[in-house]
Amino acid sequence: MSVSQDTRATGAQKIGSFIASYSVVITFLAICLFFAMASPTFLTGANLYNVLVNNVVMLAIVALGLTIVISSGGIDLSVGVSVDMASMVFVMLLAAGYGGVFGVTVGLLAAVAVGVLNAILITRLKISPFLATLGVLFIGQSTQQLATSGGQPIYLITGYAGAQFNAIARTSLLGVPMPVLVLVACIVVVYLLLHRSVFGRGVQAMGAQPGVAWYSGLRVPRQLSLVYIGCALLCGITGILLSATVKSYVPLSGNAFLLDAIGATFIGTTLSAERRPTVIGTLLGVLLLAVVKNGLLLIGWNFYWQQVGIGVLVFLVLAVSFGLRRARQ
Amino acid sequence: MTATTMKSTVKAAGAGAAPGEKQPRVQNTGKRIGTVAVRLGAIATFTLILVYFALFAPGFLSSFNFINVVEQSAILGVLAFGMAAVIIGGGSNVTEGGIDLSIAANMGLCAAVFATMLQAGYPDTVAVLAGIACGVAVGALNAVAVVGLGILPLLATLAVMNIAAGAELTLTQNTVVGATSPLLAFLVSGSFLGISTLAWCLILFSLVILVFIHKTAFGLRLYAVGGHPEAARAAGISVPLHVSFTYLFSGLCAAIAGILAVSRLSASTPGSGEMLLSVLAAALLGTVFSRRLVPTIGGTLLSVLFIGFLANGFQLLNVSSYWVNGVQGALILLVVAVTSFARGPEASR
Repeated sequence: MSVSQDTRATGAQKIGSFIASYSVVITFLAICLFFAMASPTFLTGANLYNVLVNNVVMLAIVALGLTIVISSGGIDLSVGVSVDMASMVFVMLLAAGYGGVFGVTVGLLAAVAVGVLNAILITRLKISPFLATLGVLFIGQSTQQLATSGGQPIYLITGYAGAQFNAIARTSLLGVPMPVLVLVACIVVVYLLLHRSVFGRGVQAMGAQPGVAWYSGLRVPRQLSLVYIGCALLCGITGILLSATVKSYVPLSGNAFLLDAIGATFIGTTLSAERRPTVIGTLLGVLLLAVVKNGLLLIGWNFYWQQVGIGVLVFLVLAVSFGLRRARQ
Repeated sequence: MTATTMKSTVKAAGAGAAPGEKQPRVQNTGKRIGTVAVRLGAIATFTLILVYFALFAPGFLSSFNFINVVEQSAILGVLAFGMAAVIIGGGSNVTEGGIDLSIAANMGLCAAVFATMLQAGYPDTVAVLAGIACGVAVGALNAVAVVGLGILPLLATLAVMNIAAGAELTLTQNTVVGATSPLLAFLVSGSFLGISTLAWCLILFSLVILVFIHKTAFGLRLYAVGGHPEAARAAGISVPLHVSFTYLFSGLCAAIAGILAVSRLSASTPGSGEMLLSVLAAALLGTVFSRRLVPTIGGTLLSVLFIGFLANGFQLLNVSSYWVNGVQGALILLVVAVTSFARGPEASR
């Protein structure tokens, strides 16, 4: 794509590049339109609220964490472990009669501990992020199975713990439910950190040009550590919200977020010309996945077909975006 | 199209693969010693654990148990070879390198197709062909996405994984599909020289793949494509062709593993997607056995067997199976950490 080619760009090429960049947005709008016509309940306030609270919030927070990690050129396969650790410690502490604030704090610390472990493995022992977090994922699964005698869920529906859960998941401020407020706070913080701060510049530099980042005097190990710890903390927040919403701890349930979050983040990268992850792109990816899941359910697709539908849709979005970009080169 | 090209390249291939390079390597001596130490260290760790099991786990050393482990490792092994081929041809970069996340789900789908065909009364040959066609079709979808459309392998195979897993669920309605046939009976209970058919499958399959990847020109070119695509292209190697082949091959491996899985349980069962992480671990762990720390077939086979022996040893020692995952994870970390130390600081990223 030399300059001369750009100046000679025809109308068709411009449309092509527009579609390549905004295929996610176009698909998202088209899908919303389709479901709005196909199902009378899709556009109702109750349904949109349900999508937001049940499908978007938790996945979005995990995906935000992964966005930071993927921006830095790494990957975190252990997000599910961070989610589960926070959830497990929080629920176990509540079951033992400790206070809600204490439980949340220690739960988040448990998630941070997973992040610290990742950080040590990646920055001190120089293990590639993929393998390091894969190892942590295995260890995390064993830890949970050992701690729950093979994966027994812990349910705390009523009583003291139930009240604590309600205080987190069921309260709202000015009509906005607490989980949504938490999500908004996370979005603002991650956006400012990643796209508007010196720290974010460093993270982007490490992802785009690790060698240059190193020779420019960036403190790569320290920055990377913060990246993985930050991701784990966000996953910990999800873990707390998850256990408060379902009022229980189900071992190994956090893993369900991993592939969706990776998918959402990478779908989001199609928004940027350099295919870099962005907060906005990631959120769009999450919305796309959530709306498709909900819409297919509403128009009566069987649960099994939903998975095929999501796979095909994601495939098509990627194919259009990557294919058009390749055609231009 | 790949099949014909493949055949011709195999025919054209010489026996030896390594080009005769004779450049001075004074500077690298220290690093090479380090790498050798790592490989020996990794092998020593594995040996130590096996020796421990041999001393303390009753029945561990019996030939029956040994064959049992090989048999149990057959499915993981076949899948890991597919994954290793994809990583060899696509490079081992974390986010942009070759990877096939759909391989385990593909295995589940092939197993479901195979079992459903048998249940519907089709003969073995038709069912096997249908299963293999299904696996290769999913591999072709990956190849089109990665090579044709230029989607990141991580991302493309993730989407295909969803499609394959969903298709399996739709086909089986998340139930167990029982199947019996002469072929399955032969796979389960047949034996030759005291070694069961399943174990033979792994042994023969690894030999074929070993020769194909390490003793043919095609295999060497595959490494060139994965190691440095631009250089490979400049040398006149068709990068798209070779990368496409790896995905088709991993689809074929998924199909074979699917048939083996049906034979082991006399049914196709849901939940095969859970094997993905073990497959990844086996393929990546195998790199520590290679001199240049790249995936090799021998290394993959060793790590598959090691994972098998680990689970088996724990079972014999009566240790809870919940430990196996954790120990496996810790070992991956240990081995890889030592490896990256030996690689030296400039290779750390």
